[in-house]
Amino acid sequence: MALDIDRFSHVESSLQRWDPRVKIFSLGLFIIAVSLLSSIPLAATALILAIVLLSKAQLPFHFVSHGVQFVSIFLLPIIIIMPLTYPGEAAFHVLGIPFAWEGLRLSIAIVLKALAIVITAYAIFGTSRFDVSMIALQRLKCPKIIVQMLLFTYRYIFVFIAEMKRMDTAMGARGFVKKANMYTLKVMGNFVGTLLVRSFERTERIYKAMLSKGYQGEFHTLVTFESSSKDFSKAAIVIVITLLLFTTDLLGPFPKAELAWY
Amino acid sequence: MHVSDGILSGPVMAVGFAGAVVVAAATLRKMDLEEIPKISVATSVFFVASLIHIPVGPSSVHLLLNGLVGIILGWRAFPAILLGIILQAILFGHGGVTVIGVNTVMLGGGALFAYGIWQLRHRFNFKNNQMVFGFLGGASATIFSGVILSLALITTGEAFFATAGLILAYHIPVMLIEGVVAAACVNFLLKAKPEILAGHIPIAGNSSS
Repeated sequence: MALDIDRFSHVESSLQRWDPRVKIFSLGLFIIAVSLLSSIPLAATALILAIVLLSKAQLPFHFVSHGVQFVSIFLLPIIIIMPLTYPGEAAFHVLGIPFAWEGLRLSIAIVLKALAIVITAYAIFGTSRFDVSMIALQRLKCPKIIVQMLLFTYRYIFVFIAEMKRMDTAMGARGFVKKANMYTLKVMGNFVGTLLVRSFERTERIYKAMLSKGYQGEFHTLVTFESSSKDFSKAAIVIVITLLLFTTDLLGPFPKAELAWY
Repeated sequence: MHVSDGILSGPVMAVGFAGAVVVAAATLRKMDLEEIPKISVATSVFFVASLIHIPVGPSSVHLLLNGLVGIILGWRAFPAILLGIILQAILFGHGGVTVIGVNTVMLGGGALFAYGIWQLRHRFNFKNNQMVFGFLGGASATIFSGVILSLALITTGEAFFATAGLILAYHIPVMLIEGVVAAACVNFLLKAKPEILAGHIPIAGNSSS
């Protein structure tokens, strides 16, 4: 699994050129509105909009496939359970269990919304360098300390994954195979412990090196942001669409997902 | 074990965010400069460890380890879990950006709960008490998270009652796995580097930094 979210940030597209501050803010509003939608047609519209956004950003589908897979795996039980457990009148019975269309419709709306949000999130963070996104978050009043720790953590993740793979190979070479038993759990506990000890010792060295280079609790960056009228017009388009979605959902002709397909 | 986007209602997500912000602000107070890299390391280790899969019958579960984060970082476990959840949401869509708050309260709350249980070990003196409380810490964090997740679903709507019950039941085997892994890890750390553990009191004459 490739974890470097910004591996497509060098591609030239209208999303990559968008000022990250304005991008995060306006698409963030879009995400919040999508999470509050309650009817199937509007949730489907949101998913289509998200896919349009993805193609505008020239991100290939395999870039988002892991997130889409994860959402599907998490939501699959809900799609199965909801129609069978929805309170109220059952349409028919499956092996004696009541089946309600309301539950199925509700779960379909959930899946559409979840996919739309995941894809939009990829479009936000996949189109700027990770550090640039983080600095943009800081400019949007996200606490400095959180942003700094996010940057640290992001760097360490790759180091520790490499470390974990090395340890995994070593264990495999000595004939260890994971099984569903107590012994495996104990070994995994020791594995995590070893990973912790090694990582802490490594960080102590890094921290001393940072101190000796003058680290005083702040990262300095050469990244500067400039927003032009183009940035704001893109944001205006997104915000107008968001408001349309939201008000149609509140006042429009579409009933809640439980009540009807349309 | 994360909630995804699109399930929970607006008020539940808002309460999640509010809770996460308040608790994170409280647990981040009086932070030393030195702690920033340390918390980041712990966060990344747990992020990486959550990629480990453990076979259970025909399928497998991935480790949560939020109890162990509490056992190691103490109060600072909450912001650490917040970071992990943010990164999981933006790096590969685990959880989701709109439920960062709820997921943080759920897993971070479990970590703080585990820390509370872990600190009780000083009150009870018996053989292997550290391992026993390591197990209890790991297991109770999972149960705490399961209960919060069920509550979030129940308050979202009547339609989710049965799902919430099933999710709670699913947490029982996960709880045992988490407990055993946490106990084994605590046992290992006691021998290898006890000062990593939160609230560790060094034995006189065996000074550690």
